[in-house]
Amino acid sequence: MRILGIDLGSRAVKLAVFEDNKFERWKIFDTASFYRDCCENKNQKISIDIGKLDIGVVEQIISTGYGRNNINVSNAEVITELKAHTYGAVWQTGLKDFTLLDIGGQDSKVISVKKGKMVDMVLNDKCAASCGRYLENMATVIGISIDEMKKYYNEPVELSSTCAVFGESELIGRISEGYTVDRLAAGVNYSLYKRIKPLIARFPSDCLVLSGGVANNEALIQFIKSDQGFREIIVPDNSQLNGAIGCCVYYLNKRN
Amino acid sequence: MKGIGFTTSIPVEIIYGAGLKPVDLNNVFITDEKAVRLIEEAENAGFPRNTCSWIKGIYSAVLNLKEIDTVVSVVEGDCSNARALSEVLDLKGIRCIPFSYPNSRNYEALEAEMQKLCNAFGTSFDEALRVKKKLDLIRERLVYIDELTWKHNKVSGFENHIWQVSSSDFDGDFEAYRERLEQALAVMEKRKTRTEKVRLGYIGVPPINSDLYDLIETMGARIVYNEVQRQFTMADGIEINDLVEAYRVFTYPYNLSGRINDIKSQIRKREIDGIIHYTQAFCFRGIEDIVIRKELDVPILTLEGDRPGTVDSRSKLRIESFIDMLV
Repeated sequence: MRILGIDLGSRAVKLAVFEDNKFERWKIFDTASFYRDCCENKNQKISIDIGKLDIGVVEQIISTGYGRNNINVSNAEVITELKAHTYGAVWQTGLKDFTLLDIGGQDSKVISVKKGKMVDMVLNDKCAASCGRYLENMATVIGISIDEMKKYYNEPVELSSTCAVFGESELIGRISEGYTVDRLAAGVNYSLYKRIKPLIARFPSDCLVLSGGVANNEALIQFIKSDQGFREIIVPDNSQLNGAIGCCVYYLNKRN
Repeated sequence: MKGIGFTTSIPVEIIYGAGLKPVDLNNVFITDEKAVRLIEEAENAGFPRNTCSWIKGIYSAVLNLKEIDTVVSVVEGDCSNARALSEVLDLKGIRCIPFSYPNSRNYEALEAEMQKLCNAFGTSFDEALRVKKKLDLIRERLVYIDELTWKHNKVSGFENHIWQVSSSDFDGDFEAYRERLEQALAVMEKRKTRTEKVRLGYIGVPPINSDLYDLIETMGARIVYNEVQRQFTMADGIEINDLVEAYRVFTYPYNLSGRINDIKSQIRKREIDGIIHYTQAFCFRGIEDIVIRKELDVPILTLEGDRPGTVDSRSKLRIESFIDMLV
């Protein structure tokens, strides 16, 4: 049986396909082009044209993510993002007790997982300054790519603004003061960490699992390692696909 | 009859005892169809964007209500913004009478505050106590509505909220309120038993987003306990034949430990699976969340509201996930 998990994120749409309990293939679309190229608008409801996804025939669809209540995926079962991420992380890591940090395009969430189940969770406050979109904007201001920026963590410049928008002007001020690109980039990464810190500190655990598009930010991992009491930090191979994989795993668990 | 506005629950017996009409300004603000506009009016007058919406809404509500020229402003025991609010209202020609719930819960101090109110409105403790006896009969019926909610499972979370929260002023006419309440009860009693799987408690100030209750019921859960709203009914003071003492057992305006004891006993009694702790954006009560999370041993979801209107999609996601977790 082929199962499709769809995670409709704010910046990217992630697809995972499972065939007979095996993770078989995946795809990531830019959210805007996904809506434009793979969806149809019928009677003011958007529906996904599965044929255009080029993933073959699927028998069951599970969806999650920000768009889940706005997009009409015919015959899809809808689950919450937190549930999807919990299932995904348990399957990907084989662990049962951990703290999960998911940093997406427009929000970040921390889930406390015990015995394979979500027991508590916290989401970032209503501010873009703790998510991927913030990093993208700041990288543009510095004039480097996001992949370049995530490498820097030494001697971060101080960025104190609590607001993502004012943060940009603060960063421009730092550029004019003559700081180097690596210190500026480290400053941006550190400001992201400062906002994540109180969230993860809420659920101390031996192990921290990272998922979402920002999970492979080396600088962030470095800051967490040096500052928090997690003995182990795990970034699953398919961290960005965690929600989509979780959708499939949820269904498999339910069916069994 | 002249209306006397107030900023949070006060000994309403004194207002009725003086032959005046009590008006809970929070209710006037939040039931206004243009509640968001009231906030904007206050901001245009200079209220900072990062202050509580209730304070701003109350400000505009008072200015728009021509029948109110006197406001009892609770300057201790509720919110320190109320103090600045009364300064601004004074400026606009509204007479503001400060009232304090002393943090010590000291009997004599509270008595002196209540005496001050009696003097201001030309009434007495005896008169107020006579009113209390009448109000207590209604309060007993509110206890019954509450029981129909958690014990007999016939009443929705919103109904429980609205009847109890309205008892801060009994909508300005307690006899009329009582009649409406009896009619509502007659209907509620005949209902079928509800069968939601998850039983939630709601603690903290009443929500600024009134669709919260119905939203939760679409997700297979129901709020069977409204902490502060129940406190507003003064249900725990029904048997007490002393007005000062009755307002000393009122937990809301004093320290957190009194509230926490009350919440803990209600969680047990009502078999509550999880708690929603609501805080208003920019309110000091957001800090109290730290203590509440430490003291209560049921799962807690902290929700923060800012402006009136429907619950935002992020909060919806959080509520949905919380309920999902409790099933």
